[in-house]
This record gives sequence, structure tokens and C-alpha cells, in this order.
Amino acid sequence: MKKLYSYIPLIVFFVLILFFARQLILKEDPSELPSVLLEERFPEIILKKLGGYKLFSVTNLMNANSPSLVNIWSSWCVPCKIEHEFLMRMSSDHNILIYGINYKDKKEDALKVLDLNDNPFYAIGVDLDGLQSINLGVYGVPETFIIDSDGNIRYRHVGPILEYDMQNIILPILDKIMREKI
Amino acid sequence: MKTIIKFIFYIFFIVPVVFAENNINDKNQDAYDLYKELRCLVCQNQSLLESNAPLALDLRKVVLDKLEEGYTKEDVKTFLVERYGEFILLKPKYSVQNILLWVGPILFLLIGVFVTFIFLRKQSMNKEEGISLSKEEADNLKKILDNNVP
Repeated sequence: MKKLYSYIPLIVFFVLILFFARQLILKEDPSELPSVLLEERFPEIILKKLGGYKLFSVTNLMNANSPSLVNIWSSWCVPCKIEHEFLMRMSSDHNILIYGINYKDKKEDALKVLDLNDNPFYAIGVDLDGLQSINLGVYGVPETFIIDSDGNIRYRHVGPILEYDMQNIILPILDKIMREKI
Repeated sequence: MKTIIKFIFYIFFIVPVVFAENNINDKNQDAYDLYKELRCLVCQNQSLLESNAPLALDLRKVVLDKLEEGYTKEDVKTFLVERYGEFILLKPKYSVQNILLWVGPILFLLIGVFVTFIFLRKQSMNKEEGISLSKEEADNLKKILDNNVP
């Protein structure tokens, strides 16, 4: 009996070690927020047209035939430029519908980027003052949402989609959603 | 000359104060309180009030707009939590999920106090036992000491 209480600090210490080890090993970035809107309807947001490009409206996402991506981007955002290549590959090689939300951008700059680097987006909506994106819980560009064919948010990716993210996260989730449908 | 100096003094020192006073109404006070309680999601340990990130400025605008629309402070918080999660609140809610967060420090303190208390009591008990020798031990001791005396 005398021994038991003297082990309490040791036990507490090991519990703490396990707790910290878990955080270290899992390598979750605590600054990346998971979307609060997971499994929920894509919120009603109102966007404006960008030049001659097709306007993205939320109704596009409802009753679609396939899952789609919604990508928030801007011409002034450097990671978006890196990501651009992978968006192009997903839209052309994998036939994925990608909708773009142009976030707090100058119209001419946005158009210039699409002219120079090609357009991965099926339709684009402009959020000039960034207030519409707040409804989506956006806190930095780029962010990408995976939407299933019923218009529900299934995944949120914070930061650029690179090769690894595309192969190991985005495409498998899209695959999974496709298989659910069959 | 004196009047001119006085005039300048009024313009530069009194007028701004008057304007500032007028601006502090209830709504602004509410907004100010909320800015302090909400986290900027870009500079994550700063409040909206301290942060100069563009997103913080946008969120400040949203807070002010919502208050103007007639939202209460709680409504605004709920609105933002629905979009950004509880993480946006600098002070976590008192809820079941957060119970360890709030009670944890007190719990650890109590464990510490308990263990220290038992440890100290045990030690002082050992000391007392050490001081008081049994009769047999006292006799032995006396014998040894006596023998050593030449």
C-alpha cells in the first residue's frame, strides 16, 4: 500500500509522455484547421463573374454527376502558382471538375494568370472583398474543398496541392466518393 | 497671438478627443470586446484586435457588420464558431470536451499536494522512529559506549 502512492508522479509522467509522443508521431499540424463544415452542405455564397469565364454558382454543386473540387486562389498567392500545375493535371488527365473562387484579387491580374498558365477551372466566381469566403471558413489561400455529387463538403485541404497530396489524399477521396455512388 | 495658439491647441488636442468620445458607443464597445476574444486565424496567437493580417481586418468588418445587423455578441461568436470552429475563441468554452483543459491544472496540483503531503508525513514518522530507541537498543548502545571508554 505504501508503494502505490509513491508511483503516482511516475504514472502521471508516463501518461504525459504518451500524450506528447502521440502529438509528435502523428505529425498533425495543429495550425491547420479541419473544416467545421465537413459533411455539410456547401454554404450559399454569391460570387461575381470573371471576364468571359463561366460563372461558378453554388447550384453547380447540387445534383452533379460527379464529385468536384472548389479551389480558392489568387494571382498574388505564390503557393497557388505552384499548385496550378497540379490543378491542370487533375482537370485534364483525371477529368475532374474544378471550380475556382478568385479571392481578393485584381481582375486584370487574375485574367493574366489564366491567359499565361492555362485555365484549370470549369467555372470561376470572384470574391472581391473576401467576405463570401468567410462563410466557407477560409483563412488563407490556397484552400481546396472536395464536394460530393450532392453538394456536401467531404474534405478540406489547406495549402497547395502538391504531387503527394494529389496522389495520396485528393484522388483517393474522389475515388471513394465515386465508388459510394455505384 | 494668444488666441491663435489657443485655437491651434483646441483643434489639435480637444477636437480629436471629442470625436473619439462620440465614437465609443455600445456597439463599438461590443465589437472591441469581441476583437479581444477572437483569434486571428493567420497569426494564431494574436487576437483580431492585435493582428494586422488582412483576414483579421476582414473578420473585424464581419463582426462590426453583424453587430450592426442586430446580432448580439453571443450570436456573432456562434456565427464564427459555425464557420471556423471553437478554435477561433481564444478562451475555450466550458463544455464536457474541454473539461480536462479547465480541471486538469487543478487536478495535477491536487495530485502533487497529496503526494508531497504523504511523503513528508512518512519522512517525519521515520525520523521519530529513529529517535526513540527501544529499551533493548538503548541498553546495547549504553554497553557499547561504556566499553569504548578506556
